[in-house]
Amino acid sequence: MVDALRRAHRMLAADGVVVDLHPTAAESAIEVGAEETGYVEAGDAIERHAAADTALAAVLESGLFVVDQVVAFTFYTYGDTIDELREYIEENWNDARLDDETVARTRDALRRTPGARSRTRERVVVTTLRPAGV
Amino acid sequence: MAIEEDPEEHELDALYAVVSFAGRRVLEVGCGDGRLTLRYAHAAASVVAIDPDEESVAALAAEGLPNVETRAVGVERVELAPRSIDVVLFAWSL
Repeated sequence: MVDALRRAHRMLAADGVVVDLHPTAAESAIEVGAEETGYVEAGDAIERHAAADTALAAVLESGLFVVDQVVAFTFYTYGDTIDELREYIEENWNDARLDDETVARTRDALRRTPGARSRTRERVVVTTLRPAGV
Repeated sequence: MAIEEDPEEHELDALYAVVSFAGRRVLEVGCGDGRLTLRYAHAAASVVAIDPDEESVAALAAEGLPNVETRAVGVERVELAPRSIDVVLFAWSL
């Protein structure tokens, strides 16, 4: 990750900017409307996201970049059914899964909330870096 | 399957709050199938979109965006001239 940022620095124009988006180390929740029904079992995702934070810290420490801006947002992924959402997560997220209890709670919540969809909630941070000394 | 990612466009709003793509040369690292690329590329001068997943990159290439060049390669192997990029975007890929 640090090497990737070093390569980015070489390719970047003097007034250029690096933009990094990655999820925070917080667990991703499953929701139906405003009701939280469980969390995604995310394999090593928390460690991977923490490693991205560490890489950013390392290039800042090395003096290659300075932080320009940091903003955060919430990223939702919706499934028409919890089974669709579960299948999507298990096929597309690294080593992630939903446990049966979370799926059951989500089904109950969907039954109680006509018209609602199940969704994942991820917190994501956007950081912009500029070459130091510009 | 009906899966919908970020219909509220929170991601794009956050990106636009911190960077302008207008007229800029962009390298997007980890473009996948172009979910994000397709949302901002129209504003950029040019985009080099890279990802080691050949199938995903092919899906983005099939969109035929005139200012987007796709390469099935990781950032460790991409060859671009020094100082030739205005925005390097690590899209959930760092």
